[in-house]
Amino acid sequence: MKKSTILILLSIVLLPFIVRPAIASEIWIFAIFGLGLNLLLGYTGLLSFGQSTFFGSAAYVAGWLLKHYAINVFFALGIGVGVGALSALLVGYLCVQRSGLYFIMLTFALNQLFYFSAYQWTSVTGGEDGMPGVPRPEFLGVDFKNPLNYYAFVSLVFLFFLYLMKRIVESPLGKILVAIRENEVRAGAVGYNVPRFKLLAFVIGGAFSGAAGVLYAMLFGIVPLESISFVTSGNVVFATLIGGSGSLYGPIIGSFVFIWLSESVSTLWARWPLLLGLAFVMVVMFFRGGVVEAWHRLVLKVNAFRN
Amino acid sequence: MLYALMGLGLSLITGILNIPNFAHGALFAVGAYLLVSTVNLFGNFWVGLVLAPVGVALLGLLIEYVGIRRLYKAGHDYQLLFTFGLSLILAEGIIIIWGPVGISHLPPAILRGGVDLGFTFYPKYRLFVMVLAGLLVLATWLFLEKTRYGAIMRAGIENKEMVSLLGIDIHWLFTIAFALGAYLAGIAGALTAPIRGLSPGMGVDMLGIAFVVVALGGLGNLLGAIAAGLLIGVAQALVAAYWTEASTAVIYAVMALVLLVRPQGLFGIR
Repeated sequence: MKKSTILILLSIVLLPFIVRPAIASEIWIFAIFGLGLNLLLGYTGLLSFGQSTFFGSAAYVAGWLLKHYAINVFFALGIGVGVGALSALLVGYLCVQRSGLYFIMLTFALNQLFYFSAYQWTSVTGGEDGMPGVPRPEFLGVDFKNPLNYYAFVSLVFLFFLYLMKRIVESPLGKILVAIRENEVRAGAVGYNVPRFKLLAFVIGGAFSGAAGVLYAMLFGIVPLESISFVTSGNVVFATLIGGSGSLYGPIIGSFVFIWLSESVSTLWARWPLLLGLAFVMVVMFFRGGVVEAWHRLVLKVNAFRN
Repeated sequence: MLYALMGLGLSLITGILNIPNFAHGALFAVGAYLLVSTVNLFGNFWVGLVLAPVGVALLGLLIEYVGIRRLYKAGHDYQLLFTFGLSLILAEGIIIIWGPVGISHLPPAILRGGVDLGFTFYPKYRLFVMVLAGLLVLATWLFLEKTRYGAIMRAGIENKEMVSLLGIDIHWLFTIAFALGAYLAGIAGALTAPIRGLSPGMGVDMLGIAFVVVALGGLGNLLGAIAAGLLIGVAQALVAAYWTEASTAVIYAVMALVLLVRPQGLFGIR
């Protein structure tokens, strides 16, 4: 086994001993979310500022089905993936026709459309109060109400999605997406249908976000309105960037840093988004390139010092 | 008309600086809160209306000079993160300074009540806002079209390298453009305060609308921003009359529809 695989398996086993299982689960859930965004941001060069659209939509739909029908967790997960992909198809179809700043603004504006729909449709979504009472039904005798059991489930799902993403970025499709990032015009000239590949990346990213959304809803038993707000979209961008976009494992590191950061500052002060905002600004000013690059720079410095 | 002001300011910033300014809504909110504070301080609405946007413009000057100036080469992802972080800081700063509860603010005594327009009865203050916003849009347009500085700014939208090759300090141009955009957001906020009241979240709602206006009007296309602002405003008002709950969502729906038919926006060329 490779070093990175061992490291991830080791952290999956050790994490619940260090932090509460709920937070440990949240880290892996957010990592799935980040993996999806990273395919867009890191590999295809598309900065989507509307990922919570798919995260939230999937959480609402699957959460509602879980509440009202006796569906099992795997089915709910499948629904989440489907809803995430479908909503990404709708949003993506409009967005991929534009690039650069327009693309960013469109993903954000359509995010707002979904947000306000959820905000107003109180009979289903609960509006500002969120949609509480999302159950974690047992499956084949495994009781998912037990936090550790649910953690194991989340970890397995995460490993599956990590494997899937690894296969995607190493496949010809992944190479085409990188080609689009590096030179869109040339990729088109070579004969690839650039908008269609962008859309495909968008849909895959949406499916990952959807899976994360459902896991999140089942973890906390509620779909908060915030899960579909632009703040969540911004958070996942932050997590991916701080981990280092463009590397497969960047978003995982970013998820660790982000959840740890937000969990520790949110208990400090009610106005913790202020600190989070400061952290964003500081990272941009001083740590561009994220943890992965900072680590590389540190290693270089240590080596230079040794010599 | 207020949407046009917001869109115009954002269009200037995004068009010239080529950055996604997610702090634009927060600047709008700061403008509204500054109005309330200055009015309370000086006891005069007009002093507040003059001072508040200037305060926002100064804030914009500071933001550009300290932060954004260093990010022009950094890529949109980091620029976005910076302005998004900034908007969080400003929104939370508003809560810390002015409190989380919404504030309502009355228009000045002279503009309370309504006027009879013959066919309908219209609140005086709204009429005032419409006229003033219209004048501001006109003034901005005249500034950009008819003055030397305006010409430099438009040239900056078209081709930054060429402008700096001609011996014009491009950094100075960027700072002024950001401050001007901030000023327009600030005065839009100040004018909105007596109509809709104030809440810390008011900036985010407006931010989305401003982006829609720019997406429809075209980046750096100032006439487009004005026209799109009017279109969105009218569409929202019409829907609000029949189906109040959907009036916010309809803005985005209109945008989606327009972009389906015309992906380049109403007036976009790029």
